[in-house]
Amino acid sequence: MRLLKNLAAVLGLLAIVCATFLLVSYILASTLFPAIEQASQNILASILRVIVGLATFTAWVLAWYTLTKIWLYKVLLRE
Amino acid sequence: MNPSVSRLIKIFYLEFSGILDKMLEALASFLTVIAVTPLMIRLGRRVGMVGVDVHKSSKPMIPKTGGLALILGSLIALLVHMLLNHDFHSLIFLSTGLIAGFIGFLEDFRGEMNPKLKPTLLLLASIPILVTGSYVPRPVIPFIGRTRLYKIYPILVALAYPVTCNAVNSVDVLNGSMIYTSIPFFAMSSIIAYYRGNLFILTMSLICISILVALIPYNRYPAKIFPGNSGSLFIGGLMASTAILGRIEVAAIIALLPQIMNEMHVIFSIGGIKSAKEVKSRPVEFVDGFLTASKDRSAPITLVRLLSAEARVSEKNMAYMMGVLAAFTSILAILTDLLLVEAWI
Repeated sequence: MRLLKNLAAVLGLLAIVCATFLLVSYILASTLFPAIEQASQNILASILRVIVGLATFTAWVLAWYTLTKIWLYKVLLRE
Repeated sequence: MNPSVSRLIKIFYLEFSGILDKMLEALASFLTVIAVTPLMIRLGRRVGMVGVDVHKSSKPMIPKTGGLALILGSLIALLVHMLLNHDFHSLIFLSTGLIAGFIGFLEDFRGEMNPKLKPTLLLLASIPILVTGSYVPRPVIPFIGRTRLYKIYPILVALAYPVTCNAVNSVDVLNGSMIYTSIPFFAMSSIIAYYRGNLFILTMSLICISILVALIPYNRYPAKIFPGNSGSLFIGGLMASTAILGRIEVAAIIALLPQIMNEMHVIFSIGGIKSAKEVKSRPVEFVDGFLTASKDRSAPITLVRLLSAEARVSEKNMAYMMGVLAAFTSILAILTDLLLVEAWI
């Protein structure tokens, strides 16, 4: 029974990660990728796009890891 | 016969005769793995390519040569495919897996490789696709549509191999776990390839499913053989090639989320890419034949640890549960592709 509860919790976590991945891929495709692929006249705007893109991706990875830690220690192991 | 019924039968025949052709290669690879694996078990014992089955009380030594059976099975399928279709495109597909599998074989044969050297070497697996220019740098991204990534895409192709291979390698921790988590990925790629009419990727995916299914009787609990690093890196290489050549990049990432999550969290929780020997605390404890999550905060966070929190789980059930996670993300991948990607194709 406990295993099924854990399974449901991890499935929920994966569903959240999947939904946020779609959001992050959208942000990357509208910031980082065009800044690298297309030569822009406005260099400052390109630099800003790269920074926003990289910051979003880094924040997503860190948020994913933090969420998993919370999931494990607070939800599953109930410390 | 009613004309509409005969028309239906004709459509059914045309639709499925194409798939039945593809099944021939899959059947050849399935039979090869079934026949060759017992020989690989003997070979592994003879040359000493064995590993400890840590989740058993008796700690038996099990041959790590299952990967060689998978490789032989796909080589036979490739031969049949080339003879039937005169299509040499499959050589590119298989060569990526062979390079990754060879790196894994070196590790199985000579002992653990430098943990930082392994991902660097795995970049080599991307060479066949990059050199032949077999990729299309225009992936469809949900809500955006078709993009043009002429500069970034080759870099992503190169990175896809170490990421995917290590992710697949990281879930090969229990009897059957690598197989149960990999089959849903290839089932997902088969379904997408089928409705897109991509017969090449459909064939390759069916071959991958059949070699994996053929190894189940030997690798399921209690395992008689391990896929080894050669097997998991070979399968990881083929997954990356399926994603790139099949143009299912977004779906592939979603389907591989459990494996990527496992690998990424291990790296984060132990503070970098390190050898398993450097990690003092184990993620799970093995007590009275059951797995249970470690409560040690310094232990790596893994899928097995998440699933066994406050629970006592048999190795067999744990491997099935890992397969369920992979099946769930593969379904999410198909839904994403159908709802958010297919409209742009």
